[in-house]
Amino acid sequence: MPAADSLVWVAAVTTIIWVGLFAYCLALTRRIRRLEEDR
Amino acid sequence: MTDKATAGIWHWLLGAWMLLVIYGAFFYAPTAQGFVGESARIVFFHVPQAWVSVLAFCVNLWASLRYLARRDPLDDARAAAAARLGLLFCTLATVTGSLFAKVMWGEFWNWDPRQISIVILLLVYAAYFALREAIADEERRGGLAAAYATLAFVTMPFLVFVVPRIYFSLHPDTLINVRGSIDMEPRMLRVLLASLVGFTGIFVWLYTLEVKLARVLIARQRRGES
Repeated sequence: MPAADSLVWVAAVTTIIWVGLFAYCLALTRRIRRLEEDR
Repeated sequence: MTDKATAGIWHWLLGAWMLLVIYGAFFYAPTAQGFVGESARIVFFHVPQAWVSVLAFCVNLWASLRYLARRDPLDDARAAAAARLGLLFCTLATVTGSLFAKVMWGEFWNWDPRQISIVILLLVYAAYFALREAIADEERRGGLAAAYATLAFVTMPFLVFVVPRIYFSLHPDTLINVRGSIDMEPRMLRVLLASLVGFTGIFVWLYTLEVKLARVLIARQRRGES
């Protein structure tokens, strides 16, 4: 396992970015599905 | 199997792929030599973000030229979606780059040619949206935005690939360095390539969703007009 001194912030930033993008995609998918169902 | 189910499987596969990339970035790739602590691990995310922003600006150009040729509102929506994603990933690359700069060089902002050129690029594409917001008429907005996007794209290769190589930069060697080779430890390279695939995948997903949303909204608008 790599040393933890500067690992925490790298892990936090990259994970937040990735989870944020993925969550945005899922939310957008749900929004489009709702709009299509309304149609 | 329906298209929706297939798409769902691909999306969760992409999620699993990126979890593997995150695991690989921290536990499979070795610690890079010559960097402070583990700061170099940001490369597995910073480089793919920069790559996706270049890809998005290329898509923006393609859609803009298509709009100029066909005047289809969906092409204008495609161009705007690509520029929006390009701006998002370019911002992410700038943020991750400045975090790396803080650890390596002690400051978030160092007036490095690479930092300056990327911020200019951000401003060039931010102006694209300022232009779009300033014009109410859809057809006029589409035409002017497409013309601006075509000119903006001309600056992109210059700001991303040329300027940082002309001047002295603190920025580490790019993936394909000035000698035209890739000097990277094989395990690190594997993780980086996997991350490039993952980020390209999420760009394709985001872009497809944005265009789908635009298509639904355009259809709604047309129904409202008729």
